[in-house]
Amino acid sequence: MTTREDVENLIQRVGLGDRAAFSALYDATSAKLFGVCLRILNDRAEAEDALQDAFVRIWQKAGSYAVNGYSPMTWLITLTRNLAIDRLRARKGGAVDIDEVHDLKDTGPTPEAAAVAASERSRLDGCLNELDADRADAVRGAYLEGYSYDELAARFDVPLNTMRTWLRRSLIKLKECLSA
Amino acid sequence: MTQEDDTNDDVTLAGEYALHLMDAAQRRAFQARLDAEPALRRLVVEWDEQLVPLADNFADVRPPKAVKSRIDAVLFPAAAKQSWSLWRVLAGSAAAAVIAVAVLVTIPQDEAPLPFTPSLAAEIVAEDQSLVVLASYAPETGILRVDRQAGAAPSGRVLELWLIAEGAPAPVSLGVLPEDAVTDITLPADLIAAIAGGTLAISEEPFGGSPTGTPTGTVLAVGAVTAI
Repeated sequence: MTTREDVENLIQRVGLGDRAAFSALYDATSAKLFGVCLRILNDRAEAEDALQDAFVRIWQKAGSYAVNGYSPMTWLITLTRNLAIDRLRARKGGAVDIDEVHDLKDTGPTPEAAAVAASERSRLDGCLNELDADRADAVRGAYLEGYSYDELAARFDVPLNTMRTWLRRSLIKLKECLSA
Repeated sequence: MTQEDDTNDDVTLAGEYALHLMDAAQRRAFQARLDAEPALRRLVVEWDEQLVPLADNFADVRPPKAVKSRIDAVLFPAAAKQSWSLWRVLAGSAAAAVIAVAVLVTIPQDEAPLPFTPSLAAEIVAEDQSLVVLASYAPETGILRVDRQAGAAPSGRVLELWLIAEGAPAPVSLGVLPEDAVTDITLPADLIAAIAGGTLAISEEPFGGSPTGTPTGTVLAVGAVTAI
């Protein structure tokens, strides 16, 4: 199994223009990152395009990795997830089809790999559990499905401003809990 | 507004940015601030690090081989062209044609995905047969293939797959099953040894999977892993 140090080392070598390291990084992480793209986009062809965008960006940005303060998998996952959601939003053009939103409920692949230490996961789960169940689900939906405020409001059947307030208050409570 | 309020606002904004909740205009405005404000960048990094455990819920799915070739063609067009011309030079000469054939013979073997030849399997079946899931594991690939032949999650719930290793005190989640009937799960390295002789179980859980890391809903179906 590839360790955190292995991935970090590969990213640093990619930052120096090392193509062999780039291929090794791809082999080690592309399954995880393709899983991110598939879950967010729910479409294989689009997920492949998003994965391509992600690795092009990784090649271009790896040189600045050392100074950005991220742990290696967080950097790769965050970069990929953001690109996939950008693509999702561009596709939807901001319009929300409520039926489609409800169809998306509970879809998408999700088996988990041990990408993150169990203790960090249980810490976040513990803090999410301190929120009302609906609000914790809204945070999970935003992270895992890339739902926008509009989609979350439609999905939970509350006004947009209510959803905004939910999320912002949830973020404040989460931060307090996670920083405690 | 006090300075503390401003800080709280920035913490919340950074969280909204990390979750990607902002609309395009807000996001651009926030990114402009990020370029200028290292403290704000640190807040975003902190949120990304704190939220990333949720990414455990993203399944590992091996992308098709063609994706890597496309990436290389985008990033290294000169290299792609070079190997193409080398190929033409080789193919152009009769003597080299033999080499080309040899290359043709070896490349497909190299490129083809490993065949899925399972050596372990489990029938995860509910007592009343309302849920029937076949799981098979091929050690060469590290993939556990899950084939849901009958049944589905109750409305508003999801199905989560668990591995109970022989003698283990608690089940380990293998993730929430997607709506697709067949799904491939790449087993984490530390679970590979546990699959033989283990038991697979499926529970129904809230959206996003069990919030506690152990089954919280009803265990619907169970099956022992056996050699085939």
